[in-house]
Amino acid sequence: MVALQLDHVFKQYGEKTAVNNISLQVEQGEIYGLLGANGAGKTTTMRMVLGLIYPDGGDIRYHGKPYSVELTRVMGYLPEERGLYPKVKISDQIIYLARLRGMSKLDADKSLRYWLDRFEVPEYYDKRIEELSKGNQQKMGFIAAIVHKPQILILDEAFSGLDPVNVELLKVTVKELRDSGTSILFSTHRMEHVEELCRRITILHRSNTVVQGDIREIKSRYPREEVILYTQGQVNRLDSIPGVKSVESVERGYHIHISTPDTAQLILQHAMAETTVERFEIKEPTLNQIFIQEVGESNE
Amino acid sequence: MNSNLGTIIGFTFKNKVKTKSFLITTLVLAILITIGMNLPYLIKQFSGGDDGKAKQIGLLVGSQQETAAELQKYAEAAGSKDYAFVPYAGSSEDALKQDVKDGKLEGYVTFEEDPANKSFPKVVYAGEGDMSQSLGTYLQGALQNVKTTMITKDSLTAEQISALNQPVSFSSLDISDNAKASSGKDAEKDRNQKIMNYVTVYFLMILFFSSNMMTGNMIAAEITAEKSSRIMEILITSVKPLHQMFGKIIGIFLVGIVQIAAFGVVIGANLMLPNNVGMLDEFHLSLADINMEVLLYGLAFYIFGYFLFAVLYAAIGSMVSRTEELGQAVMPITMLGLAAFYIGIFSINTPGSMLIKVTSFIPFTAPTAMLVRIGMGEVPVWQILISLALLIVSILVFGWLSAKIYRTGVLMYGKRPSFKELRKAMKAYKI
Repeated sequence: MVALQLDHVFKQYGEKTAVNNISLQVEQGEIYGLLGANGAGKTTTMRMVLGLIYPDGGDIRYHGKPYSVELTRVMGYLPEERGLYPKVKISDQIIYLARLRGMSKLDADKSLRYWLDRFEVPEYYDKRIEELSKGNQQKMGFIAAIVHKPQILILDEAFSGLDPVNVELLKVTVKELRDSGTSILFSTHRMEHVEELCRRITILHRSNTVVQGDIREIKSRYPREEVILYTQGQVNRLDSIPGVKSVESVERGYHIHISTPDTAQLILQHAMAETTVERFEIKEPTLNQIFIQEVGESNE
Repeated sequence: MNSNLGTIIGFTFKNKVKTKSFLITTLVLAILITIGMNLPYLIKQFSGGDDGKAKQIGLLVGSQQETAAELQKYAEAAGSKDYAFVPYAGSSEDALKQDVKDGKLEGYVTFEEDPANKSFPKVVYAGEGDMSQSLGTYLQGALQNVKTTMITKDSLTAEQISALNQPVSFSSLDISDNAKASSGKDAEKDRNQKIMNYVTVYFLMILFFSSNMMTGNMIAAEITAEKSSRIMEILITSVKPLHQMFGKIIGIFLVGIVQIAAFGVVIGANLMLPNNVGMLDEFHLSLADINMEVLLYGLAFYIFGYFLFAVLYAAIGSMVSRTEELGQAVMPITMLGLAAFYIGIFSINTPGSMLIKVTSFIPFTAPTAMLVRIGMGEVPVWQILISLALLIVSILVFGWLSAKIYRTGVLMYGKRPSFKELRKAMKAYKI
């Protein structure tokens, strides 16, 4: 079931196009990755989904219906710059925010206590935001975004500024929410998070959609251009094989860049003829490489 | 969605009232009010010294036995609790000086033949430091009385003398068409009511101005803080901006009311203190003389005026990104508030001037200007109603406009936007 659907959504600020005809679908129980450099249009897209600003063209549908005020109750939002009152008690403000989104005081309190226990910080209930470290403030912002059990969750750079332990904690939580049926629109700069969490992504570059789809499909569209070869003895004249772009010697073997996939087989045959092969792998491109290729090139 | 408005009002109110700064300012102001109200009594206590006992004034009788006797007689008849005379025989001041030094006497009075005026001697008061004003007034009055008695001797009766000393009764009467025909009996009540009206109008204007400034700045500061902490983005995706804005305005209005009520209780409690009980009477004021019409109209203008200014403060607050810039940004509204206040205060004695007539129809100045006209002058009811209607319409117009500015402004960070930029942004955001 499609929880969130953007159809040729277009947004212009004056002369400048902020988002150019983005189309995407987030299924129920899916984490959808929205990638892009700074200023690519991620936040604008998210703000349009949230109803903070209205698109100039195109259509956004939530469970098949257009935007309405009632939607605020089923949406959760963690802005890139965490928004909480610095001087108000955490319990006071998070219960307040949950109540604004239609929760009863009692349920909100229960939910808040559950999440504080879950993050192993029940003592924060009576603390103020300004007393917490930046990472913990972010965890509180995350709780504020999910305390009312939203069906559609918008996370803008949810993991930035967190230590590895807390990143892991939030990752597990996000996956859990996904498994319980929450649809999540997730933006980040960090490719490794996307590869781990998301099935489908959209890469934005200067307001335009440059790459979109299933991560595995995207990767298969890009040629495998790197070969890892570990051998017992030396392999000579690797660079004379047609199609080899460069050879890099490492401790136990070679990293070889090639221009066509067929070259890999030639390398393997050549190596086997000379010595014993211990490891042979044709590496698929990382998302990072794809991103840099797509975004970096046109950046010049 | 209306429960949201209640939630916002409750949250705003609770958090503002709980802040240390609010508690401290309220407490400090309450203490200042208490000190101010008891200052006259305290001063009397400190300068007067001894526990309310009458101050002893020495009388060096000398050759003026008759004058001294009359003075004592007068003091007894007047029954003053503050001063009493103690006669000393002989003509040497040494004993008196010693007693003043020992603190037995406040000071003493000596008589001296006046060559220019055979019938009454010159009087000199001697004491440590300057003579207090109240003692001077007392002695002057007493001596004047004694002099009259002595000169007229037995040619006038006691009644005639007291009639002579009675001040002339003088009052004014309004005979214009719309003045209520008042019989002589009501004249004094009328006069008292006028004074009370004056007090009510003055009080309401100060209330309007001070609560406007205080709460207005609070509203703007709160909104700017929400914007700079980015919680605004979450709020705006949770609640309609109109609810959010009015929730904030009403919440802080209640905070202001609580503060005013606290001051009211402090003032009331102070008036109940034994040393202050007579204060209102002294000024011939009685709460029963409060004109309900003036009070009710005044409160209506006060509340509506508050909301008009509050929506403007909210709009300004939403346009500013950092609290430091706020002071400068709210300047135009502060000036508007000042103008309203001063027009009211300076025109309180000329409630019929053209200035006050015109400004009583301008929504921003109407809360003070119309109040002056209602309380101090004469104004037909239909004019009051038109002025109120204009005020309410302008609240709706400016409230709507402010909500739009608010909705746009809170998404604009960085430098404060000009109105042109704001309009462009409104168009761009489709607000």
